[in-house]
Parts: sequence; C-alpha cells; structure tokens
Amino acid sequence: MRTAVLLGFRLRQEVLAWSGAWWFLATLTVQAVVAPLIGLFVWSAVYPDDPAIARYYIVVILVTLMTESFEQHTFSNQIYDGTLSHELLRPQPVVIGVIGMNLATRIWLTFLGAPVVVLAGISLRAGFDWAAVLRSAPYIVPAGVLVFLWTFLLSLTAFWTDKVHSIVGFGSQLIFLLGGTAAPIALLPEAWRRVAEVLPFYGMIGLPADLAAGTRSTGSLGYQLAWIAVLGSAVTISWRIGVRRYTAVGS
Amino acid sequence: MKLLRLVGVGFSMALRRSVAFRINLFFDVLLAFTGLGTAIAAVLIVFTRADSLAGWSKAEFLVLIGTYQLITGLRATFVDPNLAWFPETGIRNGKLDGYLLQPASSLFLASLSLSSPLALIQFVLGGVVLGWGIGATDRPPSLAGVLSWLVLVVAGLVVTWALSVLLACLAFWAPKLQLDVFYHSAWQLGRYPTDVFTRPIRVLLTYVFPMALIASIPSAALLRGPRLAPVLAGVAAAGGTAALAALAWRAGLKRYTGATS
Repeated sequence: MRTAVLLGFRLRQEVLAWSGAWWFLATLTVQAVVAPLIGLFVWSAVYPDDPAIARYYIVVILVTLMTESFEQHTFSNQIYDGTLSHELLRPQPVVIGVIGMNLATRIWLTFLGAPVVVLAGISLRAGFDWAAVLRSAPYIVPAGVLVFLWTFLLSLTAFWTDKVHSIVGFGSQLIFLLGGTAAPIALLPEAWRRVAEVLPFYGMIGLPADLAAGTRSTGSLGYQLAWIAVLGSAVTISWRIGVRRYTAVGS
Repeated sequence: MKLLRLVGVGFSMALRRSVAFRINLFFDVLLAFTGLGTAIAAVLIVFTRADSLAGWSKAEFLVLIGTYQLITGLRATFVDPNLAWFPETGIRNGKLDGYLLQPASSLFLASLSLSSPLALIQFVLGGVVLGWGIGATDRPPSLAGVLSWLVLVVAGLVVTWALSVLLACLAFWAPKLQLDVFYHSAWQLGRYPTDVFTRPIRVLLTYVFPMALIASIPSAALLRGPRLAPVLAGVAAAGGTAALAALAWRAGLKRYTGATS
C-alpha cells in the first residue's frame, strides 16, 4: 500500500515535470509511430485489399505508444553521472522513481499520439470489431510490463559498460523484428514464426495487436506472465550485482 | 584546402581516440551489423510474400538499402558528431562561443570539424549491400547510370548536411527546440522507395523534406538509367538547401549573443 502511494506521488510529479517538455515529447511520439507507420504502408502495398493489415498496424501504433520505455536515458544516465546516489539515499526503492518516470512518459506519448491513431483509423476505414478490441485489453498491461522489464534489464548494463545505448538499441531491434512491427508474425517464414512465438517480444507488441485486429481469436496470458517472471528475476539479480559494483562518481 | 586539412587532422585524432576503447569498438561494429541486418531482414520478409513492392524488385531494394546506408554512414561520421544536439551543446552550453573565436569559418567548425570514424563501418557495410544488390540485378547498370548515381549521392549528402544545419539554426531563435529525434525518425523513411507511401507523404518526402533524394532517386537512376530531370532537380536541391543553410547560419549568428548573455 505504501509503495502504491509512493508510486502515485512519483507518477503525478513526473507527469507534471514532463508537461514542460511537451515539444520534446511530441518528437518522441513521432519517433515511436514512424516504424509501425512504415510497416502499415509496406504491408498495405503487399496486401492492398486486406483491411486486417490496417487494423493490425493501427493497434501496433497505439500499443507502441503505450509501452515505450526509455530507461537507457532516464535511468542509465543516473549511473553515468553519479546522481543514482541521490536515489539510493532515499527511504524508498529506486525502482519507484524509474517506474514513475516510465508511466509518465507513456501517458504523455499516448495522449500526444492518440490523434495519429484516430486519424489513421478513420482515413483507412479500419472497421474494428469492438468485442475483439475488448478481448485484447487484458494483454496490454503485461505487454507494457514486458517492454519495461526488457529495457530496464538492458539499461542495467550501464553498471558494467558505457555503451548502454547500443545495447538497448540492439534490444529494440529484436522487438522490431520479432515483436510484430516489421511484419505481423503470421507473415514471417515458418521457422522465424515459431521462434517469435516462443520469445518474449511477440507478447510486447504483436499479441495484443493481433487480438484487437481480429487476426487471432485467443491469446495466452500465461505466456506473457511466464516471461514477466523470467525477466523480473533477471532484473532483480542484475540490480543486486550491479548496485554492489556501483561506487558513485568521484569515489 | 585548409578546411580539408582541418577535417583530415580532426579525423585522425578522432580515429586514435576511438580505437583506444576496444569494448566501444566492439559494440559499434556489432550494432552496425545488427542495424543493417534488421533493415535487410525486414525487407526480405516482404519478399517472401511478394515478388515486387511498389514496382521495386528484391535486388533493387538491396541497391536502395545499400545507397541509404552509404549516406547514413557518412552522415553519422561527419555531420552527426557536430550537429546532433546542437541546441544543447552549441547554444545552451556555449560551445559555439569557442568556434567563433577560432580563425576558420564558424559554420564549418560547428558542422564538420568533429568526426566519428567508427561510424564509417556503416558506410563500408552499405557498399557491400550495394554490391550485393547490383550483382543480383538482371542487367548491370550503365556508365551513365553510375555517373548520375554518383552525382545524386553527392547531392543527397549536401542536402543531408544542409538540413542538419537548418535544424540546428532553429536553436538561435528557440534554444529549447530539440528536433534531432524528429530528424532521425524522418530519416527512417528514406530507407524505402517513396512509391510505397500514399500521395501526400510522397509529395512531402520529394519536395518539402527531400528524403527521396537520399536513396530512392539515386537508386532509380543507377538501376533504370539516368534521366536528366531528376539529376538537375537533385543538383538544384543541393545548391538551394546549401545556400539556405548558409543564409540561416549567418542570420542566426547575428542574433546570437553568447551562452552567458
């Protein structure tokens, strides 16, 4: 309960703090929607008569906005410049600040990107089945948790290297390729599709999008929750080892 | 000549600094490979489902990606280390003050004096993909096609530099305006032929924010033979944007009063 209250305070604080940087947030929104928009155009050119492609990519845009994570900027830089020390001295878990900032940026990105989603939906006459959209809703929160855990795990490598942006960039490429942004995974070659269905990346983007677009009728929350457990454990272990290694700037 | 010597000296110093950090070198090489691999994979997936995309075959797409990567590599090597985050580093932190005191063109110093040699890996990989694409085409490009490709690539490079300068110049009027992320996002659109996009975006990418000049137009000239109009338009766009960038820089400097004022 105390953690929830602290998180609520932190979230409010971060949402207000980011409100002064709305122009920068708008550029981040553009960055988030470009890759799915390209996917939309490319696959619409391949299957011009299939409305499911448009529906799928419109949801991919929305899910991407709702799950974007930037811990390589918001957290790793605190390791590099030593300001993590301030967070370590607070009487609360460091991760509360990280999650608060993560949720605040997601709220702003979703708010700023919503017009793109609505505009794309109307102009492409996507024709959603709202029952399918409702069925996909429970998969979005685990998708957001998975993206956060994956990005945070890779961001923790800042304890050991000074190339965290490259490492997180590599992780983002995996999400792009195997998560359903480069192509809906049903369109991947058979071997790739099987691999993609097992790895966590499909649960981050493609699974909720497939369900909302109606290209898949059932999903597996168990698959998402299992990966949350795996990535959560990896984050916990990496944090414990990393923070022991951290000696603060100047020491 | 003096400016070229300055670029050479700066590049040499940056290269020595870069190779001293082997872990960084490893990650830069790895990311260059995976970044390009991801881009190619995304396109190859499309070609498992279709023989052509917006009139471009798989081989033609490889030529396009190779050309895009060549220019991206050169931009990352010579332009980005200078102008990326210019509003913060150049204006708000006052690095520009230092350039204004040096006996060389401030525009040159601010936009081309630093370099990131390891990013040239992307250039080399782009060349490999370009060769792969040309080898996979049905007929080799003509000499005129190669020459027009060269002219258009140089024009694309000039436009790339000029657009970066123009975006940087906005910081003279709005120091908090950081459009770097936006520019890098829009850059992604250059990896695909403009024919893929709907008409309004196609017009935007051809005439307003000429990403088509980065890869689409040079690749078409290389593969389908040269046409005078695109080559002339490319040269005109390069000259026009470069002149505009120089003018904007001069106007911006008149307004600039130093980081601490």
